[in-house]
Parts: sequence; structure tokens; C-alpha cells
Amino acid sequence: MYKIILKLAFKNAFLRLARTILVIVMIAVSMSMMLSIQGLYDGMTFSMADKIKRSDCGDISLYSKNYRITRAIKDDISDATAIQKELLKNGDVDAVVLRLKAEGLSSTARKSAFSVIVGIDLNEEEKFGQFSRFLKQGEIRLGKRDVLLGSELAKKLKVKIGSKVIFSTQDSTGEINGISLRVRGIVETNNILLDKSALFVDKTRLQKFLGVSKEEATQIAIRTNSQTLLKQLQARYPHLDVKSFLELYPIIQQMQDLMFIFNSLSFLIVMLVVFIGIMGVMYVSILDRIREFGIMRSIGMGYSLIRSQIFLEAFFVGFVGYIIGAFLGFFALKYLQNYGLDLSEFADGLASFGYSSTLYATIKFSYFSSTFIAIMAASFLSVLLPLRKIKNMNTIEVTKANI
Amino acid sequence: MIRLQNVNKYYYRGEEREVHALKEINLEIKKGEFSLLSGPSGCGKTTLLNAIGALDSIDSGEIYLDDMEISSLSEDARTRLRLNEMGFVFQAYNLIPVLNVEENIGFIMKLRGFDEDVIKARVQELASLLEIDTKLSSLPSTLSGGQQQRVAVARAVAPKPKIILADEPTANLDSKNSKTLMDMMRSLNEKEGISVLFASHDEYVMRYVRRIIEMNDGAIVAK
Repeated sequence: MYKIILKLAFKNAFLRLARTILVIVMIAVSMSMMLSIQGLYDGMTFSMADKIKRSDCGDISLYSKNYRITRAIKDDISDATAIQKELLKNGDVDAVVLRLKAEGLSSTARKSAFSVIVGIDLNEEEKFGQFSRFLKQGEIRLGKRDVLLGSELAKKLKVKIGSKVIFSTQDSTGEINGISLRVRGIVETNNILLDKSALFVDKTRLQKFLGVSKEEATQIAIRTNSQTLLKQLQARYPHLDVKSFLELYPIIQQMQDLMFIFNSLSFLIVMLVVFIGIMGVMYVSILDRIREFGIMRSIGMGYSLIRSQIFLEAFFVGFVGYIIGAFLGFFALKYLQNYGLDLSEFADGLASFGYSSTLYATIKFSYFSSTFIAIMAASFLSVLLPLRKIKNMNTIEVTKANI
Repeated sequence: MIRLQNVNKYYYRGEEREVHALKEINLEIKKGEFSLLSGPSGCGKTTLLNAIGALDSIDSGEIYLDDMEISSLSEDARTRLRLNEMGFVFQAYNLIPVLNVEENIGFIMKLRGFDEDVIKARVQELASLLEIDTKLSSLPSTLSGGQQQRVAVARAVAPKPKIILADEPTANLDSKNSKTLMDMMRSLNEKEGISVLFASHDEYVMRYVRRIIEMNDGAIVAK
């Protein structure tokens, strides 16, 4: 019996091709746009988080207990090199870098600004977060007097490649010292804090300048995919401040939550439009066929079978629309993942929020699974109202009309 | 086989009874009968046919199919009854437009769960008998009125129902097609032993039936 229901559903879908194509196109286009929006929203926060991790704290960072309060060089980790060696032996750890930071004042002949000098090892940074990809101008090289400046700081100090910058700070003995540096490159990390204040110099050179040993660092940053490493490290180094990325940058968590809300709202709006669209087309289609359903009921086809037929039709158009939409959406996401969406016209505005001017999309399986559920639900719900019409129809009246 | 006792039916306008469509109808139709409800337009033929076919409800009285009282059945039970016990032929043919002739003829048998082989053989048999065997793969919209009505008859007869209820089956046909259709229906009635009840005022139909039930103004005036 269900074979004939299936046949009726498919024949209706194919014989009323214009209506079927209209619904399918509506679902496919809305869905591919929805997927692209979801991917871009997630991509924005993912990209921001990724750059922060690469340029600063990794997935986990270790500090001495007081450092994050005092920011003083005396509160550094004295055995950082030994800890780094130990961490590199841990299978859950993908990369580790040591950084030495000190707050101070950078100045030129005309301008000065609050800054943070960051001592880095370029080779380690490259492995840790492909540091060279942050280069905006000049070159990535840290010779004896070279400095790489954050893009916003460079703007503030009005310096160019080759300009001189003096950085002064308090060393480990409490003395105020200055160091003369030449701008070798300007970097843009999209981490607002770094771009506004960072001067990247060679770590060994900074250790000498600050009067600390080669074993010392203020931060140990770790890249990992492990969900358990944080607890493991907190247990292993109880004397250190072991923090996750989201604890160090709670704003990212807020942005992720905000994006989730944006995504959910966009999702709901698109699905509502899809739902109303399908319902409109199905309603007209069913009204158009009301006599046909009347005939079926008058010759003995039960309401439940007619309902099954209409649900099957809705499932068919919903499913085909989903498949086409999933393909279109996947290709759109793939394109946006590889080439991005160029918004360089809004670069300044985006940069002020820590976004780069080209937005790249992410692709997650959950986009497709949640959209599948939503499309199917919208397809099924959209026929409930037309079904009421059939249930309440007067069989004799609707079959009276001549063909 | 079918027995009606004191059947009354009213048409309403709001709460008020506007038309007394069936008045104290008492009627019996026996197995194998080939009979006609006759009378002028608006006399209640179609209303009575719809009541017998469980398509319409009545306000009072009882309708029995064999020993089962059918007028008080639920909507679902009435639908099942129509599927399993009755066949319908309508004035406007009422074929399913998306199904071809073969599928239309076998439609009720499929709903009743007959085997595919049985359905195929029965469709072939009826299509040959009704001379539509060359049109099996055609859609109803491509057929003439006479051919469509033959498909409707074949659909009604196919599962061998107890009774076929035919409402003005010749109304949209010319005289040649009307004669052909009536010849075929009488032949099916004789061969298959299926009872047929027509509602019509067509001369051709009157000539073919063995019993005429005269109606006027909602009442039976002659059996």
C-alpha cells in the first residue's frame, strides 16, 4: 500500500515540476547562504582566537604566581628553560615558547608611548605560531639592535622601517635603563594589545639588557589539542599560575557567545523564511489539488495515507533542497575558507575589534547536521496547516466540480 | 444487501433546517441488482446515493450494508467501508491526474493490499473488456471523456466491491459513448455479479436497468 503512496508523492513532485523546483531552489539558496554566514561568523572568532594564540598565549600559558598582578621582571619564572625542556617531552604538547616581557616607555625624538618589550626567539616563534605571517612591512629579522614594532604602536610613534626608537624600563636590579633600537619590521597580529604596545626584540639581547639569566622568562606559552593538559600542568606546577587561553582572554569567550547568539538568530530568521516559503508553496499546491484529495478520500483512501503522501512530498523536496543546499554551501564555505571575504574597505573598523580585513570561513560538520534537522523540521511543519485543510474538507463538495 | 429505514436528511443554513432533502426513505437493494434512482433534478437522487455510499451523513434513520449499520460509523470507518465494500463512478470521472490509466485502475486494489500480480492481471482483464488496453500508460488528461469514464468504471469494478454507486455516469458522454458504457456495465453486472445503483435521469440508463426507483422532492414515489 505504501508503494502507491510513495509513487503518488514522487509523481506529484515531478509532474508539478515548477512548484517542486521553486521550493528546492528556495531551500538550497537559503541554506547555502545560511551555511556561509555561519562559517564566516565562526571564522571571524576562530581567526581572532587563532592569532591571539599564535602571537601570545597559546592554548595554555604559565606565569609565576605574582607576575600577572605586578608585571615586574622580578616575578619571572627562574627555571623556565628547564620547564620548557620537560614540557617538550610531554606527548600532549605540540609547541612551547619562552617569552620575556617588560613594560616601559618607547620614544622617538617627537613621540612616546607606553609599551611592552617582548623578547622572543624567532625560530621558536615560527614553529609556535608562524610569526613571520604577521609581517606587514620590512622584514622579519632580529639582529643586535633590531626591533619589530606592533602596527598601531608604529603609527602612534610615527616611525618607518629604519627609524630609531628608544625603549626605557626598569631592569632586574631596579635601575632605569634604556636601549636604542632600529625598526626592522612592522607586524600586525590582530591582537589589539600587542599591536598597540609591543616591541619584539631578540630574547637573548633582552635578557642581557634586563640583567636576567638565560634560564629566565616571564611567560611559557604552549600549543596543544589536549583537553586534559591544563589540569595535568596545574597539578605538576602548583607554584606557577597555569591558565587556559579563555581564562587569559575572557573577551574571546564573550565573542564566541555573541557569535553563537548571532548565528542562532540568523539561523532562526533564515529557517523562518524557509518555513514560510515552503508553507506558502505547499499550501497553494494542496489547494490546487484539493479536488484530487477529495477524490482519493471518496474512493476510500484514508486521511492517514493522504497525510503520509504529503509528508513524503515535503520530505522529498526538503531532502533534495538540503542536498543541493549542502553542496552549494560547502563550495561557498570552501571558497571562503581558501580565499576569504575581502573587506579591506572596512579594514580600520575591523582592526579596532581585532579582526583582519579578510574574513575566512570555518567548516564544521555541525553546520550541516543542524541545518538538516532544521530543514526537515521546516518541511514537515510547513504542511501541517495545509493538512488541516484536507482533514476538514467536505469530500462531496470538492469532488462536485467538473474537471 | 442494502436496507434503508426511515432515512431523513436535511440541508441547513446555520442552525435552521432549510431543505428536507430525504424524506422517510425506506428502500432495499438486493445483491446483483442493476437499478436506477430516477427523478427530476434536485429530487434527492445524488443525496441518497451519497448517503448509501457513506459519503454523506443522515439526520435520522438507519442504513444497513448486509447486517452492519453504516450511518453511525466514524469518518475513518466509513472511509474503510468505501474502500473495501463499494465502488464509485462519478459524473466528472474523478480520476487521479498524476497516475496513468493502469495505475488508476489498480489504485483501489493497491490500497486494499492485493498482490502486484493479481492487480496486473485484473487491470489487463478489465482494460481489454472496456477496450482501453492500448491506453494503459496514458495520463487521464490525454483521454476522451468516454475513455476516462471507462477507466473510472474499471477502477470501481477492479477490486470486486459489493456494490457500485454511479452518479450520472453518462452525463458528460455522447449517446454512442453512453451506450457503450451501459453495455459494459451491464456485462460486468452479469459476469461479476456486482450490484449497481445508478442515479440518473438519462434515457439510456433507464433502458438498461432492471429496476427504477422513482424519486420526487426527496421522497421515493415508486419502486
